[in-house]
Amino acid sequence: MIQSNVFLRELRLGRRSLIIWTGVVVLFVAIYLGFFPIMQDPDMAKVVEAYPEAIKQVFNLTGVMFTDVNLYHAGIVLPYILLLTSIFALMLAGSLVSRDADLGTAEFLYTKPVTRNQLLASKVSAFLVMLTLLWAITFVTSTIVGFMAAGNQYRMGLQLPVHLAGLVATVAAGGLAFALAPFINQVQGTTYLGVGVGLGFFLLHALSGLSARLENLRYLTLYYYADFRGAATGEPFIAGMAALLAVFLAGTGLGFLFLNRKEFTG
Amino acid sequence: MLALEMEGLTKYYGRAKGIVDVSLGVNEGEIFGFIGPNGAGKTTTIRCLLGLIYPTKGSASVLGRRVIPGGGPIYEQVGYLPSEVRFYPELSGREILEYAASFYRGVERAWVDSLAQRLQFDPSKPVRKYSTGNRKKLGIIQALLHRPRLVVLDEPTSGLDPIIRLELFHLLQELNQAGTTVFFSTHVLEEVDRICARVGVIKEGRLVQVSPIDELPGRKMRLVTLRLAGGADPGVALAGWNPVPVEGKPGFYQLAVESPVNHIVARLATLDLEELKITDPSVEELFLALYEPTREGGAKG
Repeated sequence: MIQSNVFLRELRLGRRSLIIWTGVVVLFVAIYLGFFPIMQDPDMAKVVEAYPEAIKQVFNLTGVMFTDVNLYHAGIVLPYILLLTSIFALMLAGSLVSRDADLGTAEFLYTKPVTRNQLLASKVSAFLVMLTLLWAITFVTSTIVGFMAAGNQYRMGLQLPVHLAGLVATVAAGGLAFALAPFINQVQGTTYLGVGVGLGFFLLHALSGLSARLENLRYLTLYYYADFRGAATGEPFIAGMAALLAVFLAGTGLGFLFLNRKEFTG
Repeated sequence: MLALEMEGLTKYYGRAKGIVDVSLGVNEGEIFGFIGPNGAGKTTTIRCLLGLIYPTKGSASVLGRRVIPGGGPIYEQVGYLPSEVRFYPELSGREILEYAASFYRGVERAWVDSLAQRLQFDPSKPVRKYSTGNRKKLGIIQALLHRPRLVVLDEPTSGLDPIIRLELFHLLQELNQAGTTVFFSTHVLEEVDRICARVGVIKEGRLVQVSPIDELPGRKMRLVTLRLAGGADPGVALAGWNPVPVEGKPGFYQLAVESPVNHIVARLATLDLEELKITDPSVEELFLALYEPTREGGAKG
């Protein structure tokens, strides 16, 4: 089903953006998680406590976050990492499909003796490998910086399911992009898709914490199903992760359907 | 066996007409010219054949296998050159060729190198640095590198210099002698005249003529260009042949007549001629006649 030549070519074509985004994520983790000792300062806790309640809700700022590095990383750092990685996943998945229509390479690639299903399966595989690499590097970076910042208080065993939830949530975002990408004929369109949908999830997640009336909005975001805080307390949201995987599979399935119907008119 | 077969192929883009009821068979082993001006429906037809777009009605077969949505192994023995050749700009020509070759079994490096050499193509540069002509050469090589049984070329010579164009024709003729079917779309009729045995003419989305090139309507016509002494008007002397003045050449007249050349010469010999030229019409002129059958100048001798 998977064409190794297409898979390897897509990995190569996507490596530059993978390196850039991984660099940004690593830097973000290093700085934000590295700040943990500063965040533990009682004066900092006082500053945070003085914030309006709504702001604290929106940004997940609760006192306990600043005393436990695992909760701090899962509740404060990783939502931003998920924001970045979901934008990247949406852009990457979208561009993997729409690039050929944009560059005009569809007439080269889609007239080769492989089915569109094989082409998309190869592209999806390349996407999964790149996203796994990104989250693996994020996990390693988090571990190193976490130990440097908090010593043995940072628990790798707790953080593994947290990062796994992040990977699954990111992959789900990619599934949405695979479903939409056959309708997008310009790579620039996938940038808008990534930024729009990625930021949209983040804002909905933030808004859902503002009041009880908006609470149901959380069901429309990746963050609810990834449930980083639950995972960091040793209770990963398994059903949530299953739902995210279902979103990925459904989105990608629609992508196969739509790509087979897509017409390349040049 | 038919290398290409279209049966009532029709494609609409929304309400806009692409092609209508195109039925055509191309025999295996022939060089077939598919001619028509820009926008006539040549590329739409080819895209339907290659599965890039789907017909609104009708069907198509390639090398005996029906074209179905989703592409696939049907194109294993097909080479395709699109009219606008575009590749991944960050890859080099060599990488593009290696990538193209990776889709087929048994591609010989020596053959690919010989194609590059014959077309004077340097594969070492990045695609973004190639001129239009070099991108076209790269497109031709990737279409031929697996020695396909059927080659579909959409406007293959645009952007090529005359020497490379000639080399391409030689190459296509050699491949054809080895059994390759060539389906060749162009609006440059001289090219069709040079290598194609049979042609199909498409006009406003409809196939209006399919015939051996020698049997195109008007093929037996002679074009006569003449000037009488003092630039006199030959209209009366050549009544029935409808001579028309040649634009920009005072005193010169032109007429097209379908008659044995000795009859033409016998009639012209009665005139006081200063200049005379009798030629076969170019395919271009035949094509124009097919598009504008009522234009002045056509006459039966």
